Amino acid sequence: MTTATVLYQDLETRTDGARPTADGLWVPLSELKALTGWELKPEGVCKDEVCVPVPDARRHALIRDEEFSLTEFARLIEQPVARDENQRVWYFGPPAWEWKSRLASRMAPDFELPDLSGRLHTLSGLLGKKVFLLFWASW
Amino acid sequence: MWQELRQGLKDKNFEVMTIACDAKGAAAVEPFITAAHQQHPSLLDEKLRVAELYDVRNVPAIFWIDESGRMVRANDPVYAQRRNRETGETTINEEYLNAVRDWVANGTKSAYVMDEGRIGSRLPDLEFDDVSAAASFHLGTFLALHGHPADALSHFKRAHALRPENWTYKRQAWNLGDIERDYGTNFQEALKDPASGPFYPPLDLVGSGGS
Repeated sequence: MTTATVLYQDLETRTDGARPTADGLWVPLSELKALTGWELKPEGVCKDEVCVPVPDARRHALIRDEEFSLTEFARLIEQPVARDENQRVWYFGPPAWEWKSRLASRMAPDFELPDLSGRLHTLSGLLGKKVFLLFWASW
Repeated sequence: MWQELRQGLKDKNFEVMTIACDAKGAAAVEPFITAAHQQHPSLLDEKLRVAELYDVRNVPAIFWIDESGRMVRANDPVYAQRRNRETGETTINEEYLNAVRDWVANGTKSAYVMDEGRIGSRLPDLEFDDVSAAASFHLGTFLALHGHPADALSHFKRAHALRPENWTYKRQAWNLGDIERDYGTNFQEALKDPASGPFYPPLDLVGSGGS
């Protein structure tokens, strides 16, 4: 067991229960939901409306002795992973269904971001108008 | 400048929204926003999450989104003002501003609305390597901002190797470090790297350069 920081899209959590292996990261099942938003249910690994069934053949690689392999789950849902050995930080990106053909429909993805005063704005709040959306940076 | 565009079109069901994708956050971008006296929503994307969502590979990047939320132009690399490098003279990019006005007036009939093929060339399907590059970039950014710039380097370099055409990953990483010390290059040399492709894609304003 060791300390690790798990960056799971918008979640940033430090855990003392991490168990890194040569190519993987195990965490206590009891911390799964806090770290990732996912939880184990009879029908699979679930978050909101989505449930990912666990194939029997992969069950042992995913769940063992009250631990859950975040990296094996990442393989299952085609999530990109990056790890830093020195600082023990792990980053998990979006699952396949969020990045594959994401923009194929040509619908502009909705988002919510703050302005300088902290007020939140959404793109969908402008539905019904033509929107000129500009990305810029100081660099 | 976009402010003036908005001013002229604000009664025509048109809005400007700007997003600063900058890991250094408000401190880095506030002076620009304040100086421009912006009245439109001017948002901060410190984690470059929305930039990733729109596959913004360099800035500036402009998207036109119609009333139903559909993109009709994507990733236009346009500044409102153009500066002549030799004379230093600044001129307003009227050609592009007029294209926006034409779209606002004519909607889908505007010659500047991109068809599926052209818009697809601006938004290629992502491969696993592309999202892996994003993962390394985000990890590198986290490390750089949390006091571990040396550890960030290998992750930034992996992102650059996996997705060389993404200038956002490079420019943000250089900004968080030092291009010469950390990457052994400089901006002019980096521009010449054939793996990176063009710094900006052709504007393809009326489709002559598209598919």
